[in-house]
Amino acid sequence: MSRTRTIRTDYLARVEGEGGMLVRMRGDEVAEVQLRIYEPPRFFEAFLRGRDYTEAPDITARICGICPVAYQTSACLAMEQLADVTVDGQLRALRRLLYCGEWIESHTLHVFMLHAPDFLGVTSAVELAQVNRELVENALRLKKLGNEIMRVVGGREVHPINVRVGGWYSVPTSETLETLVPELEWAKAAAIDAVEITSGFDFPKLEQEYQFVALDADGEYPIDRGSRLISSTGLDVPISSFLEHVIEEHVEHSNALHATLAGRGTYLVGPLARYALHHDLLSPDARAAAAAAKLEPVVKNPFKSIVVRAVELVHACDEALRLIREYEQPEQPSLPVVPRAGFGHGATEAPRGVCYHRYRLESDGTIADAKIIPPTSQNQKMIEQDLYDFVVAHADLPDEELRLRCEQAIRNYDPCISCATHFLKLEIKRT
Amino acid sequence: MTACVIGVGNELRGDDAVGLAVVRLLEGAEAALRTCEGEPVAMLDLWEGFERVVLVDAMHSGAEPGTIRTIDVGEERLPPELSRASSHLLGVADAVELARTIDRLPPQLTIYAIEGVRYDTGTGLSETAATAAASVAAEIRRSL
Repeated sequence: MSRTRTIRTDYLARVEGEGGMLVRMRGDEVAEVQLRIYEPPRFFEAFLRGRDYTEAPDITARICGICPVAYQTSACLAMEQLADVTVDGQLRALRRLLYCGEWIESHTLHVFMLHAPDFLGVTSAVELAQVNRELVENALRLKKLGNEIMRVVGGREVHPINVRVGGWYSVPTSETLETLVPELEWAKAAAIDAVEITSGFDFPKLEQEYQFVALDADGEYPIDRGSRLISSTGLDVPISSFLEHVIEEHVEHSNALHATLAGRGTYLVGPLARYALHHDLLSPDARAAAAAAKLEPVVKNPFKSIVVRAVELVHACDEALRLIREYEQPEQPSLPVVPRAGFGHGATEAPRGVCYHRYRLESDGTIADAKIIPPTSQNQKMIEQDLYDFVVAHADLPDEELRLRCEQAIRNYDPCISCATHFLKLEIKRT
Repeated sequence: MTACVIGVGNELRGDDAVGLAVVRLLEGAEAALRTCEGEPVAMLDLWEGFERVVLVDAMHSGAEPGTIRTIDVGEERLPPELSRASSHLLGVADAVELARTIDRLPPQLTIYAIEGVRYDTGTGLSETAATAAASVAAEIRRSL
């Protein structure tokens, strides 16, 4: 007679927001895997309707405390695209610098505080601090630098208030930005160390044939903008046709919509995808750190995403240093934007992957409709697939270890469930 | 000035904003006023250098809405139910325990946790949370 196993996590720790996971098994066969996201979806889209287009960056910044810049920037780009305004030159350089601050802050938090405990056999950042205080102190220092960049450029660490459609309310002087350089140089060295440290972790075995999807930013590693959506399977379309290619559907067990690529199926966004599609565009030192860690140019083991995040940390430090070095204070902090009726599209690379916004505006600039597709909702189906394949390959593990490994597999994605909607809980059932 | 009051919360999630409301009510008080609207580990930088720190956050513990819980963070660990008192990432209690582990707690730390009514998306506090906010703000002002 077969044995029923249910492995369940009702509250998944160390992910942003709350959600849950259910794995149902019959004997050693996996019958069902569900990533459950409970919080009612898409309130922000409704909240935006009837607001002025200038309010979208501030409102959407509050969707997530970890990646407000991603939302702000995607919202600005969408409004600017509709108004036929391109924020370029130093105004845009500041945008990229602000975004580097968010990457440094978010990747540091995830690599050291949330994901590293899984690999080091401790249950939390607090326990990690007890066994490796230096690692946590370095992480806090890195994170503080990310915050500092956001404070200097964005006006405030969380939900930067200096961002506006068309540019900025005020721009920093070169001297102000240069104060960040010494700490950035330390951070770059710390990030290179992080690549070495994380690459030495013991990675559970799992190799996936991912369909990688990321923005294409015309010869740059994509961060703060991208004109096209590309995939490892040959997709190459303008951002304005995003919704023709990304299909969202409701599933019973989750409040966040599941996304697939039309005719192409499940896909993955985020660090693994950016790294696979744009490896050659990383800074030379980021590439060198990856090579020294023997990280292949296409990483198919999702547990190694922690190393890829560390490589992106090196890149974000390098980019920030370059942007500050080349900075010349612009004469005007913003470009004039005149709203008009129609659809505007914008997409950026949030730390977790592509963050897409589309707005429909009335001629007076009132938002008639908003659609926001965050990275975690795009990755939901792939997370479930990873879980399924992982459990199939490791069905002989005892329930408790299997549950912990499944949680770790979910954290590979650094899921921002409060963006996809909110809240998570894990359940493995064996029958 | 050696005192700092930090309000924790999200302005667009109903009563989760109660800590931010308390900070607004304290305008003009003899303390540095700060807010933490992202993840709580940032508090370690916000309170750096202050002798006395007061944290105000929403809690979701199942207690009667409007309940105010005051905790003087001393030697004891924070009660686990406060770990998930807010929907933020590492949790206020986790951030406090992390600070304790690496000796970055302020000399005096008091937490006011206010049980909210609703945490769904939207602006404005419930009447219950607003009343509790006013009472907490008055108490903090007296204590400064």
